[in-house]
Amino acid sequence: MDDKHTFTLVLFFLLTVGIVAVFLYAYLSSLPSSSAKGGLTNPKKKRFLLFFILMEAVIILFTLTLPRSPYFFFANSTPSKVVFVAARQFSFAMSYQTIAPDTQAPAKAIELPRGKPVEFRVTSFDVNHGFAIYDMSGNLIAQTQAMPGYINRLRWVFDSPGEYNILCLEYCGMAHAFMRTSFNVK
Amino acid sequence: MATLQLKKLTSVWIITILVLFVLAIVFGILMRFNQGNAIHLSPVGFYSMMTIHGLTMIGIWFVAGMAAVNFLLQRYIKVSAGINVFALVLTVIGVVMLWLVTFVGEFHTGWTFLYPLPFRGAWKEWATPLFLLALGVLGIGWFVWSAGMLFQIFRKYRPAQAFAWQHLRKGSPEIETPPFILISTVTLIGIITCLVAAVLLLVLYFAEYFSSGSFVNDALLMKNLTFFFGHTLANEMLYLGLASLYELFPEVSGRPKFKMTWYVALAWNCTMVFILTAFFHHMYMDFVQPFAFQVIGQMASYFASVPAAAVTAFSVLAVVIKNPIRWSLTNTLFFVGVTGWLIGGVGAVIDATISNNFVLHNTLWVPAHFHTYNAIGNVLFSLAFFNWAANEFGGKGHTDKFTRLKMTLLIIGGSGFVIMFYIGGAYSVPRRFNVYPQEFSSLSILASAGALFACLYLAVIVWFLVNTVNKCLKVFSAA
Amino acid sequence: MFKSIFCGLSIFCLGAVARAQGPGYVFSEEDKIYQKVADVNIAYDGEVRSLSGLYSQGPVVIALIYTRCSGVCNPFLLQVKENMLVADSDERSRVLVVSFDPRDGSGEMRRLAIRYGLDNDGGWIFATTPQISELINSVGFNPVWDSVRAQFDHEALLVGINDEGFITRKLTGLRDFNAFTSLLRSIRNEFILSYPLPNENMVFSCFSYNPETGKNQPGTGLLLLLLPALLSLVVVFVLSRRHDRKPRF
Ligand code: HEM
Ligand SMILES: [Cu+2]
Repeated sequence: MDDKHTFTLVLFFLLTVGIVAVFLYAYLSSLPSSSAKGGLTNPKKKRFLLFFILMEAVIILFTLTLPRSPYFFFANSTPSKVVFVAARQFSFAMSYQTIAPDTQAPAKAIELPRGKPVEFRVTSFDVNHGFAIYDMSGNLIAQTQAMPGYINRLRWVFDSPGEYNILCLEYCGMAHAFMRTSFNVK
Repeated sequence: MATLQLKKLTSVWIITILVLFVLAIVFGILMRFNQGNAIHLSPVGFYSMMTIHGLTMIGIWFVAGMAAVNFLLQRYIKVSAGINVFALVLTVIGVVMLWLVTFVGEFHTGWTFLYPLPFRGAWKEWATPLFLLALGVLGIGWFVWSAGMLFQIFRKYRPAQAFAWQHLRKGSPEIETPPFILISTVTLIGIITCLVAAVLLLVLYFAEYFSSGSFVNDALLMKNLTFFFGHTLANEMLYLGLASLYELFPEVSGRPKFKMTWYVALAWNCTMVFILTAFFHHMYMDFVQPFAFQVIGQMASYFASVPAAAVTAFSVLAVVIKNPIRWSLTNTLFFVGVTGWLIGGVGAVIDATISNNFVLHNTLWVPAHFHTYNAIGNVLFSLAFFNWAANEFGGKGHTDKFTRLKMTLLIIGGSGFVIMFYIGGAYSVPRRFNVYPQEFSSLSILASAGALFACLYLAVIVWFLVNTVNKCLKVFSAA
Repeated sequence: MFKSIFCGLSIFCLGAVARAQGPGYVFSEEDKIYQKVADVNIAYDGEVRSLSGLYSQGPVVIALIYTRCSGVCNPFLLQVKENMLVADSDERSRVLVVSFDPRDGSGEMRRLAIRYGLDNDGGWIFATTPQISELINSVGFNPVWDSVRAQFDHEALLVGINDEGFITRKLTGLRDFNAFTSLLRSIRNEFILSYPLPNENMVFSCFSYNPETGKNQPGTGLLLLLLPALLSLVVVFVLSRRHDRKPRF
């Protein structure tokens, strides 16, 4: 359970607390229905201000996060190793060579170098599957979809050695939860 | 004003929806206990349940919103009762078919039935065509219903007026568009659009089904169409709920009606346009989707949701803060619903950001956020309408001495249930797993805890059902 | 407990896999990707050179043909020529047309070049090789001699080689222009996030690559995505035709 995942959760809970606080305040500040009129002063001006701030926040969020999208990861480097991945109900085949639908997947274990970019070329032989890489402590670190008819290329650099797990993250039928494999980083 | 006939019809809708709701929650709780290893369902049993849970929930809260809008539209225009009956009949037929397909046919594609899974699963062979047919039946009923209402709106308001464009100009307009009309129009158009997408999808499915292999669909195109339909429908049903909020919240609180302003007009027009491309955020992890679409997806996800949410939240808060309010179960449900909707929306915006989606896509974060804005958001809007309507029909006053107790239990149950999803999602637990593998065993305890909280939620819903159904039935004896 | 579920499942799943038929995607295109092409000797312009000497000067597109072909080779070469004119206007890549028929000699290859008007074009090389089987094995190409028709039974194959000799992309059959450009981009070591595999039964493909911008451009499939919005505009228009000047109540 690393920092990035905890950060997301904490950020979410902080925003939640903020929203709840505002609504709770509003609820508590309301008066019994028999009392005389109170109400916000200048609500239109406040509304405009709120709107303005929100739009700014949205645009800032957009410009900050877009460059960090996964599509650009390691685009300019040459992968030191290429792994072909073919998903099918309900298993993954991984190989350094291409995998044809009619052949049995080679049983050889996959070993990848540490600290160098590697490329996964992911496709599916039947339905949509997910190709999600989990690190040793069970955190999702990278993913792409395995879609029939397309090759998706995912590049990644593994910083620490160990056994990484692949789980299917796109629902593909009744054994979806058991569809998995793993590889080693040395 | 509402005729007796419309009241009866609406009562039938309310009763049907609440009964189905209780059943679907029971399935949800069973699934969650299964994920926590407290009970052991067969995989097929689990996934059939998941499929019918999703389909039923989306279906009932969609028609709940439609029935509410139909009822309230009667204040402004006349809506044909025949169309309402037609939609009711087709909905019931469609739902019965879906239950057959999942429980007898063992069909279990999940409610999104992502192509080509419907053609490649371990279920009865008749299940796939019957499932597609059921969608067709529901689609026709709902299309006619929404087109019928839109037609009546346009008889009274020109399109530009229904979109409140005259409020975007300076000065005060001659004709004022009620916010309820604006939101209904925007939403009905969105519904028609996504139903057209569904028709296309069904045509492509049937073409492949009957071509026996000579025609194959493109998986990427089918995925785009699926979420065009599925995502958009799930969003529009929320807006239906909001339409009744705009109409009823100030009224039952004893405050002046909402006025149309340029903010409201702008925000909802924004929603109308951007909602049509927001569904691209379901394809972020499909690297084959053109990059431009990914950018549009993130943009549209923000601009479809944030303006409308901000305007609505502010309008509701401005009504309540430091004002005399007649609190009742109806407006408390609305009020809490807005809170839940916003919180779910924050979860959604986090997930709709591509760099986050890379590690959140298809984890429990997804059910976390959509259960938040449904189970403690949109559902509460519809329940508020139900409660209001039942009180109108049942002839009692709008006070309920158990309001506080009911709301407290509902909030505790609902938020406990979704918090377990959020924690699981943030720590990478996959969604749609019937059981969790070893590495998540410490987190799977959360699943059972979530199910326990959901039981609390269910208890309040059953309580609510008993009260509401009693009042609704009075309409029939009154005649 | 876990184990028994799993065993039960695997039996079920095997059944499911057996029932599922794969769609007609041509997976052979992925074969040999990122492997090195065999460094064979090639003969052209009266000299023998090594293939590595050629690709180390810049990326190469290899087209495998034979001169006596009465089938796909002619339309194939014609298409490559036209595509190159448009897609490679800055002339950064070369095409190596090499025969896989041992009967072809330098004379035949020269005549072929003249027939296509490419004999004086620096971007085109018409060559033979003494190491045919090494070359075709390394790129995954299997022509079969059909003695009845006295022809090779084979598919059209384009192989993209980058300047280090790695096979970056292959195209089987007569393919559209967009696929061709994506091959050209790949040999220049551009990262293309994803691409489709060919499928003969597909009518509505979603996206294709635009050569001018190097971006994806809408295919027929995308038009289908616009359709719902357009149709609902039509619906709105039709529904709003019956506007009552005076509302009835
Ligand atoms: C408190 C009541 C509820 C409970 C206990 C519950 C439980 C669940 C569970 C356990 C799942 C599967 C999660 C997973 O992917 O692992 C699920 C999925 C889902 N739920 Fe609920 N839920 C409830 C209320 C609702 C409501 C109100 C909606 C309204 C729209 C809803 C819509 C859905 C949908 C659409 C899915 C996805 C189904 C699929 O993946 O195909 N649920 N629910
Ligand atoms: Cu899978």
